[in-house]
Amino acid sequence: MHPQERFSGRVKKTCLYQVLNMKVSRWALAICFGNLGQNLCLIDCDTMFVHTARVPKKILKCKAVSREINFTSSEMLNELRLEQRVQFKGKSVEEWNFRFGFVIPGSTNTWQSVIEAEDESQMMPAEILTGNLTIETKFLDGDLLVSTSVVRIYYV
Amino acid sequence: MGLLSLLRKFRKQPSRELRILILGLDNAGKTTVLRVLASEQDEIKNTTPTQGFNVKSVHSQGFKLNIWDIGGQRTIRPYWKHYFEGTDVLIFVVDSADMMRMDETGEELSELLQEHKLAGVPLLVFANKQDLDLAMPPDEPAGYASPDLQHNLLIFPQIAEKFQLTSLTDRRWQIQPCSALRGEGIQEGMDWMAKNVSTSKW
Repeated sequence: MHPQERFSGRVKKTCLYQVLNMKVSRWALAICFGNLGQNLCLIDCDTMFVHTARVPKKILKCKAVSREINFTSSEMLNELRLEQRVQFKGKSVEEWNFRFGFVIPGSTNTWQSVIEAEDESQMMPAEILTGNLTIETKFLDGDLLVSTSVVRIYYV
Repeated sequence: MGLLSLLRKFRKQPSRELRILILGLDNAGKTTVLRVLASEQDEIKNTTPTQGFNVKSVHSQGFKLNIWDIGGQRTIRPYWKHYFEGTDVLIFVVDSADMMRMDETGEELSELLQEHKLAGVPLLVFANKQDLDLAMPPDEPAGYASPDLQHNLLIFPQIAEKFQLTSLTDRRWQIQPCSALRGEGIQEGMDWMAKNVSTSKW
């Protein structure tokens, strides 16, 4: 399976990414690909790559952010799910899961997620977050790990 | 329309999470409908046949809305059943201009309506591609083209009859004419859905 992530900002097609759930929404996430090119994470089953992403600071002020993942799978999967963990200095600050369930053999699939932030408070300043924030994305089929990737975020 | 504003429509529902499933034959316009819902009109022209699923998921103030669009090609249809579970509303998209495949469309829909896992789930049929009918009105005098979708209403009794919807007693259903390409009729379908979704599983 080869997931490709593309981050797109809320105000469509401008900037990009982010995950999170409510409270901490805008903390983290946020990966903007402006100069990194479109496809960030290409994931190999057995290898873990650590990528870095430069994200415009202003994404921390976005009220809603959107993120898109495209992936293909040659095999049939019965219980695909996504687990995402945002860590600040190695400590988990946010977790986010999505259950895809069945994946058709030979399929190409897309998932877009839009999350609206709950409130404006609570966001740590970009200067503190930068370089200390990582987003780990795992794809699992049931309990079997399919792929992992880690992205370290720098706010610019 | 936009996913966030769509989500707001459903906030009055008792459930905190809503799952909408979009099915229909290949080339009916399912992905285009999905893109209209997400306000991605500018990407409609890039739509290619779906070889799996497209999911849009929105999350705000504790509410979640997940919209699933599954490919409609014949080889993919046997996999539809894996996506039935937990569905709150079924949207079935029909290419209203594809008369050649109306029987096939009716067969697929009637099979879906017999699925146990979809029992009682409200059904919204999007009679899509009304813009094509307008472009080529079958029996209208030359040069006639009404901008009003209602002018195609004739087709709906046919669809209802063809798909045997009038005999349905176990669920709410609606046929909504639309042109996903032009973004017309989709909003009305969503309004119907927001009103009728609460009659499903909860």
